[in-house]
Amino acid sequence: MANIAAQRIRREFKEVIKSEEVAKCAIKVELLNDSYTELKGEITGPPDTAYEGGTFVLEIKVPETYPFNPPKVRFITKIWHPNISSVTGAICLDILKDQWAAAMTLRTVLLSLQALLSAAEPDDPQDAVVAKQFKENIEMFQMTARHWTNVYAGGPHVNKECDDKIKRLVDMGVEEHQARVALSSYNWDIERATEQLFS
Amino acid sequence: MADSNQGFSDTQKFCFDYYERNVCKKPGCSLTHKRKNHIDVVQVKPRDGCVIGRLKTAPLCRYFLRGYCTHAGNCRFRHEIIPVNMRNVPNTNSNQPSSTNTPSTSATELQNANKSEDKRASRAESSVHASAASNMNNGKPGEAAVNNAEGAACSPLKDSLWVNAPEFVPKSIATKPLSYAAAVNPTGAVGNNNSTKQLCPYANKDGFCKYPPGECSYLHGEICDLCGNAALHPYDEELRKKHRQDCIKQHEKNMELSFAIARSKEKSCGICFEVIMEKANGEQRFGILPNCNHCFCLSCIRKWRQARQFENKIIRACPECRVTSDFVCPSLFWVDTKEDKNKLIDDYKTALSTKDCKYFDKGVGKCPFGNKCFYRHAFPDGRVCDVGPPPRQRRRGPGLDNAAIEVLQVRAEFIHLYRIIEFNLQQVILWDFLDERDNPWQSLAEDLEDLADFFSDSEESDWSDYDLFIS
Repeated sequence: MANIAAQRIRREFKEVIKSEEVAKCAIKVELLNDSYTELKGEITGPPDTAYEGGTFVLEIKVPETYPFNPPKVRFITKIWHPNISSVTGAICLDILKDQWAAAMTLRTVLLSLQALLSAAEPDDPQDAVVAKQFKENIEMFQMTARHWTNVYAGGPHVNKECDDKIKRLVDMGVEEHQARVALSSYNWDIERATEQLFS
Repeated sequence: MADSNQGFSDTQKFCFDYYERNVCKKPGCSLTHKRKNHIDVVQVKPRDGCVIGRLKTAPLCRYFLRGYCTHAGNCRFRHEIIPVNMRNVPNTNSNQPSSTNTPSTSATELQNANKSEDKRASRAESSVHASAASNMNNGKPGEAAVNNAEGAACSPLKDSLWVNAPEFVPKSIATKPLSYAAAVNPTGAVGNNNSTKQLCPYANKDGFCKYPPGECSYLHGEICDLCGNAALHPYDEELRKKHRQDCIKQHEKNMELSFAIARSKEKSCGICFEVIMEKANGEQRFGILPNCNHCFCLSCIRKWRQARQFENKIIRACPECRVTSDFVCPSLFWVDTKEDKNKLIDDYKTALSTKDCKYFDKGVGKCPFGNKCFYRHAFPDGRVCDVGPPPRQRRRGPGLDNAAIEVLQVRAEFIHLYRIIEFNLQQVILWDFLDERDNPWQSLAEDLEDLADFFSDSEESDWSDYDLFIS
């Protein structure tokens, strides 16, 4: 790893730890190895959103050419969001791609991701299904996102109705996450979800 | 042996050596021996036969008169035996022995020489010399005549008797021996002369003079409260003033530098996050963006602006604020104020404009920046060339690429067709084709990559990859 990248991450790491966002438990960075190439990030769901109360874990891979190239970031925690793949956790965010700037840091990246959670961009989607739902049925989207936050990110909002529907599908021998994805994709219409699962 | 006649005849040509240095070593020099600032020239034939020009007014050579001048023909003094009947000896002014108290050698020798020939001559010389002596301030004609008579009474000009000649004593010593102090300061006026005296360089520079107080022959200045050196001349007001001004100027410079260091030393690069002044040697340079006030080290901002994986718009923008800047100005220190920054950038452009553009290459190459280039566009003979504005930017785009290539292919097919039909026509069209290919689609050629890197969406050029610094 290029010296400049490791040195910068080391400096950034200290900066993030001291920052007020960490003090407020809004973001968090952990080292996964000694060479500063892989890190684990954490952001909390922004207040007044469907993600409120959840803690989302991120995988951060620092390229050798950092900071001249952006870090590779993806969500480990499953999340229902138009700009984040519900399957892979890949993020569609311009600053992590062509709008990167060398002065950006892990801290700004994590804060940008947090901002992305509160302000989705459905016209530039990563997950087309989620984006469609977001545009056509925002209520349904909010409910689904809240349910996912509850299940995967430790959010406080338990949705009994969703849990029941998933349980029914699980009883039919469907894997729980698969059932959740199918139900979420079809606006919690259990018949269409079943149809899709068994077709 | 030179013929002096020839020398006299050609009065227009002067001997340079003689003119400049008063000595001509060329035997037989035929040129006129005229000396700078003097008019009268005479050529004499000394004993050793060398022809040399001498001034009529030059003093008589004392050694020649004694008979053993080692300079022989090159002596700058007059080697001349005064003829018997020479009445109008040129007055040789103060260099001639003057004091009557100390009978001079030359006078004596003259007398001796004359006496050996004619008794009358001695009288004549005596009278001449006496009259010359009487012209002097302390001349006493009577006494002089007596002395001369005594000299004349001496033996004739014979080597063995030279020992009898009176000792030559220079006039100045004879009158009154001078002390060193008196010689240096003959008037004794302290104020006037001290003002021209130099300051002791040791005391001035090091603040310490190795001589004990009072023994240094130089002046010891007063302590300047700005530089702390003993550099203030105690008497010369002009020098004092000058030193004060120099000191203040130096002080201002030092202050500026320390301010520059103070405002720079905490600054860290927005890309590598390192404190720039603490970076490795050779990397402690700031890259100043003209359009915003974000701080980067030169190497980082240059590297960022050369990043190929992003659009021009991104890399030419400040990594912090995204304000586009057309170039990066290298600087040893951080600049805070707008004036400082403008001055720095002006200095940078001025420095660049004295260097030859590597693209223009003294007329051999072509500069993609046209007359917007910061560098000098000049031919080898120094003629500066205005190459006009830069050519319009052509963006790399798949559409353009494909369209252009298609046109080229169509043309090439046509050429192929024509080649089969008529060879001559083919030549014409081929050249036409090559011409077209080289000009309008030049950016599609292999140098497209290079060219495109220099242009941005704003049509301004980027000079940041030029590796030039203000020293």
